[in-house]
Amino acid sequence: MSIKSINGCIGCGLCVKACPTDVIRLNPKTKKAEIRYPADCQICHLCAMSCPVGAITISPEKSIPVIVSWG
Amino acid sequence: MDSRIKIYNRILAILIFTGLPVMFWALSEVPRQSVLRETISIITLLAFSIMLLQFYLARINRPMLKGQKMGKVLKWHKTLGYIFVVVLLIHPFLVILPRYYESGINPKDAFITMITTFNKGIVLGIIAWGLMFLIGLTSLIRKVLPLSYKTWRLIHGILSIAFIITASLHVLKLGRHIDTSLSVFIILLASGGVFLLIRTYILSNSKKA
Repeated sequence: MSIKSINGCIGCGLCVKACPTDVIRLNPKTKKAEIRYPADCQICHLCAMSCPVGAITISPEKSIPVIVSWG
Repeated sequence: MDSRIKIYNRILAILIFTGLPVMFWALSEVPRQSVLRETISIITLLAFSIMLLQFYLARINRPMLKGQKMGKVLKWHKTLGYIFVVVLLIHPFLVILPRYYESGINPKDAFITMITTFNKGIVLGIIAWGLMFLIGLTSLIRKVLPLSYKTWRLIHGILSIAFIITASLHVLKLGRHIDTSLSVFIILLASGGVFLLIRTYILSNSKKA
């Protein structure tokens, strides 16, 4: 899991549109974004980049390892 | 002895209205973000807390301000008011400020998206911002307004009650660091301030009758 939490969401839905793997969904009751399928997160940071209020935190310790070919 | 009580009261006020919010921020389980974002969070939290303090730093809180010169208390009320009203007025712009230093949505689009997302929290925030602007403006041009001091004071009180209710609901709905302890802190202090103000008006009206 790499997307950590959403705090202070205003419910604009931009992160939902931005996420290519549908990790985030808008909760119809609270009208706020919530992490629905964390295991599918690809750490692309598109959700955090599209959030106008910086509500999304992504684990800094998780990052996509660079694949280096040996030999 | 009297001066010692005064000092204790001041320390207590500082601890309650600045120490506790900082403690709630520090103990919050919300993951830390950039230094800029966290600094903005603390400044905004403190500004809102000082707005709550304003209710207790006025004539309506005579029992707790015993021994303090009311002129000096009101001077503090004015000074803190003018400083932190400005901080809260620029709060919507502070929210999008980090966008200038981060990749992604540009600050202008972020601001437009933010104020045009008409959910309850944002609408309450816009109303609170308008009320805050009115409070600041009517205080700044009080002497120019064709109102007696008592009428102005009544309007100031009504605007303050409306502001603190809408602003508190905005904070409870959208605050990044809102948890149970911070919610209880805000609800207790805001309702205490509103109670003091309403009690003063009811008492002054019953005295007149």
